[in-house]
Amino acid sequence: MFSYTFHWNQALKALPQMLDGALVTLQIALLSMAIGLAVALALTLFRLSGNRILGGFATAWVEIARNTPALFQIYMAHFGLGSFGIHLSPYAALLVGIAFNNAGYLAENFRGALKAIPETQTRAGRSLGMTSLQAFRYIVMPQMLRVAFLPATNQMVWAILMTSLGVTVGMNTDLAGITQELNARSFRTFEFFAIAAVIYYLIAKAVTLAARLAAARMFRY
Amino acid sequence: MFDTALTLADLGFLAKGAAMTLAVTAVSVLAGTVLGVLFGVIRNQVGPYWSMPLTFLLDIFRSVPLLIQLVLGNAMQSIMKLGWAPFTTSCVVLSLYTAAYCTEIVRGGISSVPATTRRAARSLGMTWWQDMRYIVAPLATRVSLPAWIGLTLGVMKDSALVLWLGLIELLRASQILVTRLQEPLFILLICGAIYFIISFPIARLGGYLERRWSND
Amino acid sequence: MKKTSVLAFGLVAATALTSPAKADKLDDIISSGTLRCAVVLDFPPMGARDENNNPIGFDVDYCNDLAKALGVTAEIVETPFPERIPALMSGRVDVGVASTSDTLERAKTVGMSIPYFAFEMAVTANDKSGIKSFEDMKGKTVGATAGTFEAIALENSVKEWGTGEFRPYQTQADVFLALSQGQIDATVSTSTVAQSNVKSGKFAGISVVGKAPYDIDYVALFTNREEYGLINYLNLFVNQQVRTGRYKELYEKWVGGDVPDLSVGGVYR
Repeated sequence: MFSYTFHWNQALKALPQMLDGALVTLQIALLSMAIGLAVALALTLFRLSGNRILGGFATAWVEIARNTPALFQIYMAHFGLGSFGIHLSPYAALLVGIAFNNAGYLAENFRGALKAIPETQTRAGRSLGMTSLQAFRYIVMPQMLRVAFLPATNQMVWAILMTSLGVTVGMNTDLAGITQELNARSFRTFEFFAIAAVIYYLIAKAVTLAARLAAARMFRY
Repeated sequence: MFDTALTLADLGFLAKGAAMTLAVTAVSVLAGTVLGVLFGVIRNQVGPYWSMPLTFLLDIFRSVPLLIQLVLGNAMQSIMKLGWAPFTTSCVVLSLYTAAYCTEIVRGGISSVPATTRRAARSLGMTWWQDMRYIVAPLATRVSLPAWIGLTLGVMKDSALVLWLGLIELLRASQILVTRLQEPLFILLICGAIYFIISFPIARLGGYLERRWSND
Repeated sequence: MKKTSVLAFGLVAATALTSPAKADKLDDIISSGTLRCAVVLDFPPMGARDENNNPIGFDVDYCNDLAKALGVTAEIVETPFPERIPALMSGRVDVGVASTSDTLERAKTVGMSIPYFAFEMAVTANDKSGIKSFEDMKGKTVGATAGTFEAIALENSVKEWGTGEFRPYQTQADVFLALSQGQIDATVSTSTVAQSNVKSGKFAGISVVGKAPYDIDYVALFTNREEYGLINYLNLFVNQQVRTGRYKELYEKWVGGDVPDLSVGGVYR
């Protein structure tokens, strides 16, 4: 039935190289998540501000991020911005693309989480003499982050998976990029991609586990 | 930017690409949902311990990038000499991917039906099947539908990755036109707009249903 | 030792007895009446699309010739570069006519014919980068199509220079898009592709600035490694294309200029 002989020993020789790539993958995912969180908080504030321009901007960001493919967003960050003479390296384009996507989804999560926090709390804070920003910072935000923590963990896993799309814009240092290059040289598609799949799986599981442990520590009260 | 070389025939080419995107999505979501409901019910029925192998298997589809899944799936079918067309391979991989997420949604939906309600149904003399059909299904559907719509849209967007296997869907069609016409920004914007036009109304419908159904 | 050889002999004998005489791929193609070729269609002038988005190019014509020789109809299956081999392995195509460099690494996986085309490598640069020769690329951002002969060579050069950056793109089209946008300063590609892209006038501000000092990139037709019958046929077919002048004719139609020599002096093949 099979006329294909697996060459695992040759593929496994590339394992150290692939593990180096896995580190880059993790790095991009973490960075994109940090940027995404910051932007998402800003977008949430914009939406709460009551300013129509800021609110419209935030809504447009969220809807575009959520209604077009991530691959499209990354391709756009590299070749679309390139048409304007803005040149992002593949690393930067990938980071910008994923951070854009993360921010959109996280902002939407925050919006859902905000619903769980009664408005009376903000009013109580304001009547204690807090400014609206202080009320948001000390009363609403901590609760919001707690409710949004689990969806944010999912988004982190998504970010890891999305890094694999960097190959389309010339990324060759992350796990998918290295795998694809090894594959193009030797045509040993199955072996290399199977190893990559295992590494991605382990990273995703490790991140999920770490997030659970962190949640147990942070939200134990 | 507006003196474009894009012809009507090229717009037709893009439309054909969009049709391919929709076809892949429709087949995958349909098959994935059937499998997802099946797996969801099984997981709910046999309990967490016995469904561990299934849980583990489905978890893989949610923890490995779809791009890697597609390439691996394609390599696997080629090694096994199945001779599938890229369309078939894409649909099979995307269906399993959809099923993995759908199982979670179905499981969540079923477990949202209070055990007391189900016990009441059974004590009225309903069979397991009747309980599932008349009590659990309507209630669980209400809970699950918004998430399912989200999943469908997610699959639609993720289906852009099948271009890797040589299937000319919307994004690939755009790339081909970019190659020929060298107007990347304009063509990519059209491509993004088409995705948005397909996705946005359905996303809004999902949001509307969520709001309407969460009141009662 | 003795035991295993007896066992091995037994196995061989058993398989010889049980497996019926099987038609090989060459028979399959002839009896099915269609020859399915994997062709890369974003690699002008070897493979491209006309204004009706139909496939055209040197490789497309070459596949048609092969089908004619076999007395069957040709079917062009578009495959992106990374998809060529899975398409073959899964039996979706019979032969690859896809400008595939005949590297030893790849020959471990697929069977290659004798070369049917040869590329010289040329440097194409963005005019703003100030690159005037291959040596000027040192320290700049350069790119090429991932996994190709020239990409591997260029990446090695960048590593040797120790400065600058190398970026692999998945398609030739993306390389030239990136080059004309100034995302990369220069690329090394086959001179045919470079000429064809520069001449097309679609990319503003790029020009071919010189040759790259790399070996000639011989490309071969490929099929499954074990299909000797078909590989023999392909070898003879390539030979006949040159002998009858068809190779020259196609070269003039799609590329123009001096026809590259497909033989290597001083060695048998």
